[in-house]
Amino acid sequence: MKTKTTAKVLGAALLTMALAGTTTVYAEEQYTIGIEQFAEHGSLDNCREGFLEGLKEEGIEEGKNLTVDYKNAAADMGTCGQISDSFASDKVDLMVGIATPSAQSLYNAAMDAEIPVIYTAVTDPVAAELADEEGNPVGEITGTSDKLPVKQQLEMIRQMLPEAETIGIMYTTSEANSESAIKEYEALAGDYDFKIETAGITTTADIPLAAQTLIEKVDCMTNLTDNTVVSSLPTILEMANEAGIPVFGSEIEQVKLGCLAAEGLDYIELGKQTGKMAAQVLKGEKKASELFFETIEEAALYVNTAAAENLGIEIPEEMTASAAEVFEEITEAE
Amino acid sequence: MDFFITIIEQGLIYGILALGVYITYKILDFPDLTTDGSFPLGAAVTAALITRGVNPYLTLPIAFVAGALAGVCTGLIHVKGRVRDLLSGIIMMTALWTINLRIAGTSNVPLFSKETIFKNNFLAGLFPDAMGSYSTLIVIVILALLTKVVLDFYMKSKSGFLLRAVGDNEKLVTALAKDQGNVKILGLAIANGLVALSGCIFCQEERVFEISMGTGAVVIGLASVIIGTSLFRNLTFMKATTSVVIGSVLYKACTAVAMKNFEPQDMKLITAVLFLIVLLISMERKKKVKINA
Repeated sequence: MKTKTTAKVLGAALLTMALAGTTTVYAEEQYTIGIEQFAEHGSLDNCREGFLEGLKEEGIEEGKNLTVDYKNAAADMGTCGQISDSFASDKVDLMVGIATPSAQSLYNAAMDAEIPVIYTAVTDPVAAELADEEGNPVGEITGTSDKLPVKQQLEMIRQMLPEAETIGIMYTTSEANSESAIKEYEALAGDYDFKIETAGITTTADIPLAAQTLIEKVDCMTNLTDNTVVSSLPTILEMANEAGIPVFGSEIEQVKLGCLAAEGLDYIELGKQTGKMAAQVLKGEKKASELFFETIEEAALYVNTAAAENLGIEIPEEMTASAAEVFEEITEAE
Repeated sequence: MDFFITIIEQGLIYGILALGVYITYKILDFPDLTTDGSFPLGAAVTAALITRGVNPYLTLPIAFVAGALAGVCTGLIHVKGRVRDLLSGIIMMTALWTINLRIAGTSNVPLFSKETIFKNNFLAGLFPDAMGSYSTLIVIVILALLTKVVLDFYMKSKSGFLLRAVGDNEKLVTALAKDQGNVKILGLAIANGLVALSGCIFCQEERVFEISMGTGAVVIGLASVIIGTSLFRNLTFMKATTSVVIGSVLYKACTAVAMKNFEPQDMKLITAVLFLIVLLISMERKKKVKINA
């Protein structure tokens, strides 16, 4: 695809040159990429948006020298496989997987087709077997991880709620990302004198009951990047607010919706970082297998003062001052 | 070309699942929802075994047995517990979610670095490099054919004959002094064994186990059975099992074409419409209406 178009452009350029008698030739490389996003979900959409921005900053822009084939798998594994195979048979220049199952499925299809894969929003690339223990890519695949800054989050909760003892976490049993995040929370909670209470759910329908049980047992709650739980955040927030339990988020969108605060990720930034990696691979500067997977360099603090007011919590001044963004109102969920 | 190979590969893997659904839905007249759980059960067992270093070819019979056990449970709930067919399936499907998670250990088990039935030293030695890209297809064709032939052979045996009789004419089975309950349980066991076998192969082809991979399996199975049996209804020389497997390939072809031209978000609706169209043009509907009348 790429070489064909290049040949055409080159041919046209040569022709123009011959006709006009000029000596400058400039043929711009054309790229085709396939983006497979596992589910429709605010954070993942932000990843994709950031990704295209990151590419643009490197001079690869959709509509100009970039053709994007975007497919959403609607959280279905079978669909994932079919999308991946269609990208492979279309021979795109690069495949982009957003979220773990998509990244795995693309890698499986790309391995034989020898197409590089870039992923983002994969919490644990090592557990997903996309990178080895040292962080080396297992093949022509690399990307960014959205691993939560758990330590910073615990530190922030301790600072904001000096009296709190127990943190509640709700997660979906089918999401491997959440399981590894919980393990990390449990390992680190003791350092900040917290206890962790978890509630596992299977589907969205389990949320009200699980939230109720959890709220009765804990002093505050914190979110992971669990897709099912995050999609039902408004329900959880409403129940928690009624009981006066603060809920902490894991990224900017959740704080907008009314979580008290988050030491979290900015998925647009994460996407941008990924886009820059992709640009290197597309331009042929580096092979995907030569790039270590990256995590977001710095967590940023987001606070919502309206949520604090509702709960009657005073946010320490130095925290609002150091926050990357302070929201003064609660945005209604779309 | 790759596009067609993918369709045939996927179609044949799901064709084995469709054979299982054919036994329950067409032969036993039992709408078995266990399928949504036994498909990932086969995959979970496979992932657990392969990560522990078991030979990938051994996972095939083990997955079949695991699925058969699930089928026996559904059968026992229905026959001995006298629970309605639909509900027995739902109960097992729900239970299997937890069982699958426990067997696999976690909701996502990648197998990229492991040997599978499609990628191993033995196969690499068997096929020259030029044929490498077809090796997956060849393995799938062999497995699907083998399954179909064994099933055909079984259907001709005495036990297979009783199985067919139970769906059509329960009195005949009783008249032969056989317990029709036991025959039903046997049928469910074979059906879910096939479904789990299909899950086992799918998991190795995709090289990953995902807990959610069974969602909608029963719909795919039913659609394949209905497409296959209604389209080839008049071709008397063709065995029903063959039609079902071809039905599955056709179904995958339709979804693949739809996926190229529509947004993936619309896929479920397109599937539903496709399903309805096949039902409307086939004889299925008239038969059903007559039964209801």
